[in-house]
Amino acid sequence: MTTSTVDVKTPEQAPPPVPAPGRRRRFAVHFAHYKWLYLLLLPGVIYFAVFRYAPMYGVSIAFKDYVPFLGVNASPWVGFQHFEDFFSNPDFGRLLGNTLILAFLNLGIAFPLTIVMALLLNEVRLSILKRTVQTLVYIPHFLSWTIVASLSFLLFALDFGPLFLFINSVLGTNIDFLSDPAWFRPLIVLQEIWKNTGWGTIIFLAALATVDQDQYEAAIIDGAGRFRRVWHITLPGIRSTIIVMLILAIGQMLNTGFEQIYLMTNALNRSVADVFDTYVYFVGITQGAYSYSTAVGLFKSLVGIVLIFGTNALAKRFNQSGLF
Amino acid sequence: MIRRKLSLAAAVVTAAALTLTACSGGEAPAADSSKISIMAPFLEAQPPSADGAVQKKLEELTGKDVNITWAPNASYEDKMNITLASSEIPQVMVVQGKSPGFVKNAEAGAFWDLTDKLDQYPNLKTTFPEVQNNASVNGKVYGVFRARGPMRAAVMFRQDWLDKLGLKAPETTEDLYKVAKAFTEQDPDGNGQNDTWGITIPKWGALGSSSPYDIIEEWYGAGNRWTEKDGKLVPSFETEEFLEANRFVKKMVDEKLINPDFATFDGTKWNEPFFNGKGGIIVDVDSRVSVLINLFKQANPNDFQNKVGFVGNLKGPDGELHAHPTDGYSGFLAVPKTSVRTEAGLKNVLEFLNTMNGKDAATLLNNGIEGVNFTVEDGKAATIKPETPEGKAVSTDIKSYAQLGTNVTGNNFYPVKQASEYEQKVFDKRVEVMAQDLKSAVYNPAAAFVSPTYVAKGAQLDNIVADARIKYLAGQIDEQGLKDAIKLWKTSGGDKVQEEINKLWQDSK
Repeated sequence: MTTSTVDVKTPEQAPPPVPAPGRRRRFAVHFAHYKWLYLLLLPGVIYFAVFRYAPMYGVSIAFKDYVPFLGVNASPWVGFQHFEDFFSNPDFGRLLGNTLILAFLNLGIAFPLTIVMALLLNEVRLSILKRTVQTLVYIPHFLSWTIVASLSFLLFALDFGPLFLFINSVLGTNIDFLSDPAWFRPLIVLQEIWKNTGWGTIIFLAALATVDQDQYEAAIIDGAGRFRRVWHITLPGIRSTIIVMLILAIGQMLNTGFEQIYLMTNALNRSVADVFDTYVYFVGITQGAYSYSTAVGLFKSLVGIVLIFGTNALAKRFNQSGLF
Repeated sequence: MIRRKLSLAAAVVTAAALTLTACSGGEAPAADSSKISIMAPFLEAQPPSADGAVQKKLEELTGKDVNITWAPNASYEDKMNITLASSEIPQVMVVQGKSPGFVKNAEAGAFWDLTDKLDQYPNLKTTFPEVQNNASVNGKVYGVFRARGPMRAAVMFRQDWLDKLGLKAPETTEDLYKVAKAFTEQDPDGNGQNDTWGITIPKWGALGSSSPYDIIEEWYGAGNRWTEKDGKLVPSFETEEFLEANRFVKKMVDEKLINPDFATFDGTKWNEPFFNGKGGIIVDVDSRVSVLINLFKQANPNDFQNKVGFVGNLKGPDGELHAHPTDGYSGFLAVPKTSVRTEAGLKNVLEFLNTMNGKDAATLLNNGIEGVNFTVEDGKAATIKPETPEGKAVSTDIKSYAQLGTNVTGNNFYPVKQASEYEQKVFDKRVEVMAQDLKSAVYNPAAAFVSPTYVAKGAQLDNIVADARIKYLAGQIDEQGLKDAIKLWKTSGGDKVQEEINKLWQDSK
């Protein structure tokens, strides 16, 4: 991560004019030559050092038996004890499974829907209609999860929620959506779609605006219909945006959203609802097992890093430009 | 090149980290016997102001410069742990319970052991030694406990419904079933529709939380968290009575005598079905009786009497009364060693706490200031009506200051005079019923014991059984599934908890 930060901030320039022998000397000359550029770099380095890297020393409590009274430094080291406890815990498999299933459901359903919605919006010709719809679908993003959860509780309430009554009368069933474990994941994905799909279209709409209009004209002359044009011109046109967004989404994938899941969990669906984020809260904050939950959080971050590098490598292999 | 920049960055990071750690190693403020700093939770929307009348009076009564840090109740535990890790530690800390975080800190030596010290102070020498023992960590007293009513379990029901159906108030669990069934099936609100149920139970399933489930299990004789069987302590869910009690609750769920959304129903809306005429029974603490009466009073000040009836604990199927008591305390006031370094300093703080539990200070913390917000009538504190702005400010502030009251020698302040004769009558009856039930209280024999395994993972373990209980009641698993969950509790570490608890129990005898 340091590598990428520093690289991005170093402007591409010609090498120093007089390469002197010796690495140290060479660097000194290089530094003298570009000192003002390095000065520009300084605020960024300080920002990352102070606000991003310095707090990470707290991660060390994952390898200690942290007691607040003793403080981080005085608490005894325990090595990988917390990790061993976690991996040998019967909860581990269930947590990993629940987290991954929810993550892939969100990625596999909510992410493509964002693109579909952007494409649909892009095809709307009447600009006032397009802008109105856009504004309307952005609104749910600004509602907090607490409100979304309360709405769900009202709509799906047992015996009197409108959606509960409607769906069950259509299907002829008596499903309690809020406590049935089989309906927990669909409900979570549905909420995610309702809340964030509209907002996610912003970047894709921006990318769609950059697609070369001449190509469409040429395609129309060649007799291509709407779907052909979308398939052969629009989608390839925004392919690199899709890849970048996908890599970012995968990096965030394991952040299944603490609030949303916490609010929707109850005793009957906990077996499918427990994910890393809620577990860390439950064990760490409510039970004071700070070290253990930090270890769990650290493990989650490591999986996240592996995923983001993996996807990036895959993107490059398939001849696409990756994120870095 | 990159490597060089990296090493530079690493150097900067290390330097920054060192600076930060250096900051947190500051010295505690020097002891000054005229100053007392306290950290306490507040349960109101706003903490009381630092220059209010109550604060001034408190400083006058104790002769100290009292500096109170109020932290919101909801995040108090986090704030407490953060404070302990900082350099700004108060001399007195309200600790809300024997949470794993507190136990770890205490065992690392964060707090003074007050076991042999409290008896030297007349207002701190408790008249409830068993409660003080409950509040201890394996016999070590780390604070002055905050006394709470030892008996609070009650059954409240719609009196008007009961009268309409010609039923009498329940005395046994079997009566409870009959009333619940009648409330469900005999149209107690007389609207011609089958739209009522018996008991309302909220989403509240943790073990040992005095939930309706816990209370009914105790009535059945399952014990209070732990119970003695064949000379050994076993968790109450390992008893036959536990299964019987849950069969009883399940029968009521199956016959729709309990609200169908009991697994998801929001506990903050508990009064609504009762008030709106949906569910006619609540099993909870007796103070809810007054809350419910107030709801009816607000809706119709002319007709609010005889809407709410209540009884105390119910007899179980064995004909015996196993009343469900509380632990008798709600946390304690502990003295951190980091801020109070010497025995002399500790003496100073304990003397302050002794004054705080005297009659004058206790009256201030719980009733307010006489002549400003209350007057004494027949030995009771009556709110001055109409309220003056000063009186109102005092009444609001004491809701928070009451958090500092310990009352370990009983209540040294005036009981509150109720707003009307009817409410006073109900209040007096509540006190009487609870005092009667207290004689049959079945206490948790392991309340004082803190097992290391339980500290490490007890809450997760308990969740196994608590979730299985709800699943069983909802019909997701059968009784065998519930038994399997109890077995899983044992094999996942519960066995060890039980072993440790029994050892502590044997040692304490």
